[in-house]
This record gives sequence, C-alpha cells and structure tokens, in this order.
Amino acid sequence: MKIKIVSIPVRDQQKALDFYTNILGFIKKVDAPLGGGNRWLTLVSKYDQDGPELLLEPAPNHFEPSKVYQDALMAAGIPWTQFYVDDAQAEYERLSALGVEFSMKPTEMGTVVATVFNDTCGNNIQLVEER
Amino acid sequence: MSYYTEKIKRLKETYFSNTIQIDVAVNTKRYLDTHFDQDLKLDLLARLQLTSKYHLIRVFKKYYGITPRQYLISKRIEMAKKRLQAGSSVADTCYSVGFDSINSFSNLFKAKTGVPPSVYQRATFDKSKK
Repeated sequence: MKIKIVSIPVRDQQKALDFYTNILGFIKKVDAPLGGGNRWLTLVSKYDQDGPELLLEPAPNHFEPSKVYQDALMAAGIPWTQFYVDDAQAEYERLSALGVEFSMKPTEMGTVVATVFNDTCGNNIQLVEER
Repeated sequence: MSYYTEKIKRLKETYFSNTIQIDVAVNTKRYLDTHFDQDLKLDLLARLQLTSKYHLIRVFKKYYGITPRQYLISKRIEMAKKRLQAGSSVADTCYSVGFDSINSFSNLFKAKTGVPPSVYQRATFDKSKK
C-alpha cells in the first residue's frame, strides 16, 4: 500500500484551486469532471511533484456531517492539516502581504515553529518549520 | 484566543518547557544535517552538547520520535536519492553521503525506498530523459 492522496474538504473547488495555486504555490496535477459540476481535483507541491497529491474535495456541499465537522474545526481554530515549509516566519510574512489571515502567528514549540492561517475554503491550515 | 491556540500555549508550557533539553535535540539534528557525510560517532555528538550518550539518545528520541542513528540514516538516504537522480554512480553516492560499505548502503536503501540504488537510479534517469 502507498499513501498517494490526502484530502481537504472545500466549499468551492474553483475558489480553492485559485487559492492553493496562486497564493500558496501548489501545482494542479489532475482535473477530471465527475458530473454535477464536481471535479476530481488534485495538487502537488512544486518541490515534490511525484509526492502525495492533495485532493480538493467538495464533500461539505454533499454530505452534511462533513460540513458540520469542518465548521466545528474552523470555529475551534483547529487545523485540518499541515504543510511543511523551510521558514515559517518568511511564509507568514509573504502570505500576510497577500492578504491571508492568520489565527496563530509563528510559534516555537519544541522542535518546530508552527503558524495557522485561513484557507478561505472553510479550513484552518498549519504551516510547520522543522527547527 | 481560539481553543487551538489555547491548547498549543498549554502544551508549550507543560511538555515543551525544557528549552535546554530541546536545544540539545535541535542542535544535534542540525549537526547531523550538515555533517551527515562524515564518520559520526555518538561520543562526538554527546561531547558537542556537553552531555552523555544515553541522555542524548533519550532527549533526541523524546522530541523527534526517532533516535539520532535513525535520523542520520534517513538523512543519508534522502541525500543519496538526490545524488542518484543527478546521475551519480552507486559507489560514489554511497561514499559521498557517509556510508562506508556499498553492501550495507544498498540494503538500507532498498529497505527504505523499496528498490536497490541501481534500480532507483535507472528509473529516475529514464524518467528524466522522457
């Protein structure tokens, strides 16, 4: 078995695609129609294009419990997932300048520095720098 | 302050409060990151942090979840992948990332990536030609 897909629930796939590529810098890998306006839409990191794919799935629009769970995490400030960066402070500054809203500034905790932002698609996302 | 930031703050104050221990772990990891290609001994790593071998292993494992030895092997394999992708031979790669035996390098590489270094090199080289 291999881990190939990690999924993130999003309310609007097109809006998510724009944010995750234009702002965060991921690259679109697969974009296939699934009917009813839904897409099988995956992204990869520019730096690891053979690595795991991030699936932007419209689950909250079709399955109420998914929406409830996503809303609960958002309200509590809990990240849906996390991505790794070389320099958390630099990314915090770069993304803030692009208008991204952070709920946790870069915070050193043990062997990592972590920071949390709103992905505008219903999720908090944590960035982690390994010290 | 959100529920999450409150929890993070509490965790930082309780579990991650020993900055001296954390620095021992972080400094050792940084040393491994920059000296992975050398013949590294636990005695040296411990001496650099003014601590004992046993304490060093315990502290490193506590904060990184793996031992310094396991970390070093992962680092060397990660670097070996890059060098093989860049076209370096298996033997050159083996010695340049700090292993001293091609046999043990090949076995470790296969255990960590699923394929021997020679196969990995051919596969990535063919791919880059396409």
